[in-house]
Amino acid sequence: MNPDITTLAVPPPAPVRNWLDYAGVASRWILGVLFVYLGLSKALHPEAFLKLVRQYDFTTNSLVLNSIAAGLPWFEVFCGLLLLVGVAVRGSALLLLLMLVPFTLVVLKRALAISDLQHIALCAVKFDCGCGAGEVFICRKLAENSLLMVLSCWLLAGFGRRLSARFDLTRPRKDC
Amino acid sequence: MESNNPGATTNRSVRNVLLETLLVGVVGALVAFASNALSPRGLKLTRNYSPGGALAASRSVGGASATNGLAAAQLLDTQFRGEGLQLATSNQVAELFAEAQQSAGVIFVDARDDEHYQAGHIPGAYQLDHYHPENYLAVVLPACQGAVNIVVYCKGGSCEDSEQTAIFLRDAGVPKDRLLVYAGGFDEWSTTRLPIETGQRNSGQRREPPSATSGNSGVAK
Repeated sequence: MNPDITTLAVPPPAPVRNWLDYAGVASRWILGVLFVYLGLSKALHPEAFLKLVRQYDFTTNSLVLNSIAAGLPWFEVFCGLLLLVGVAVRGSALLLLLMLVPFTLVVLKRALAISDLQHIALCAVKFDCGCGAGEVFICRKLAENSLLMVLSCWLLAGFGRRLSARFDLTRPRKDC
Repeated sequence: MESNNPGATTNRSVRNVLLETLLVGVVGALVAFASNALSPRGLKLTRNYSPGGALAASRSVGGASATNGLAAAQLLDTQFRGEGLQLATSNQVAELFAEAQQSAGVIFVDARDDEHYQAGHIPGAYQLDHYHPENYLAVVLPACQGAVNIVVYCKGGSCEDSEQTAIFLRDAGVPKDRLLVYAGGFDEWSTTRLPIETGQRNSGQRREPPSATSGNSGVAK
């Protein structure tokens, strides 16, 4: 059933495979709910998100800034919904990973700058990073993002097929 | 047709994932921008919402640098003057507020959104959320053009809406020498025992701070 697992040199036994896949389903739902919630919280207040995006100072081009602030939240909602219903799961997981990695790096960069400016420990730095959850202690945010990246990798590896509507979009449906 | 070669299967699997990523990315981007366009709160992509970008950046740095507040305030003041704007101290603002009670020559403009404005604003202040100016300009602009001093404020701290609204008003034709930006903002106002109005402008609903027993004497330095 799972081509990625069967291509492993030693495929895991069926009970382990079942357990891994259930963990994948849980990952899918956790990521899905979280991204829909965080995406909507930003999409409903795009001007507040725009202000936060501007604080990162990576560009002053208003078209680029507006596009990020207007598009990214809805894009997160879209990916979250796909994960929840189980459509194009690995593609969505890779996209989440491609968003999470650079975002975590820029948050870390800003946190280091604030830590340096205010002469406080990195884990004492607290600011609204634009994640959709308001002001957070940055070490906690980095840990959360690392966990989300692990869950995305889990899905990318092909787990979480159960209860999914169309796990692979590019593969012909064989099971119906 | 499935290949028995594990390497070929893996390659095909990787290619499928990349293709799927591209597909989800393109459709997701289209859905995202369509949702923004349909949303009543959506942003206009081509509009510059940050006319005072350089000022906003310096305010942000100033806000983060709590240990060097005086230098940050001086830097901010210099940069405001470069834009043709003036900073108003809390003492000046308190004096102007007293003057505004007796004459229409002084007005206050609240640059925050509806939710914050309704929850509490400087009594008699007009609202101008520069993200949605079309909702406010018909009322605010004539009032600004007839005023001698216009005090623009937002939340305070690292909030950048007051200077952006001041620049917006300047660009809309309000003489810049009449515009004052109250950098301390509503946070400072509400902690200095000055009266607060809730709801609409001139609603008559006033919220006195709990410790307000001695009038306006508690204005910060």
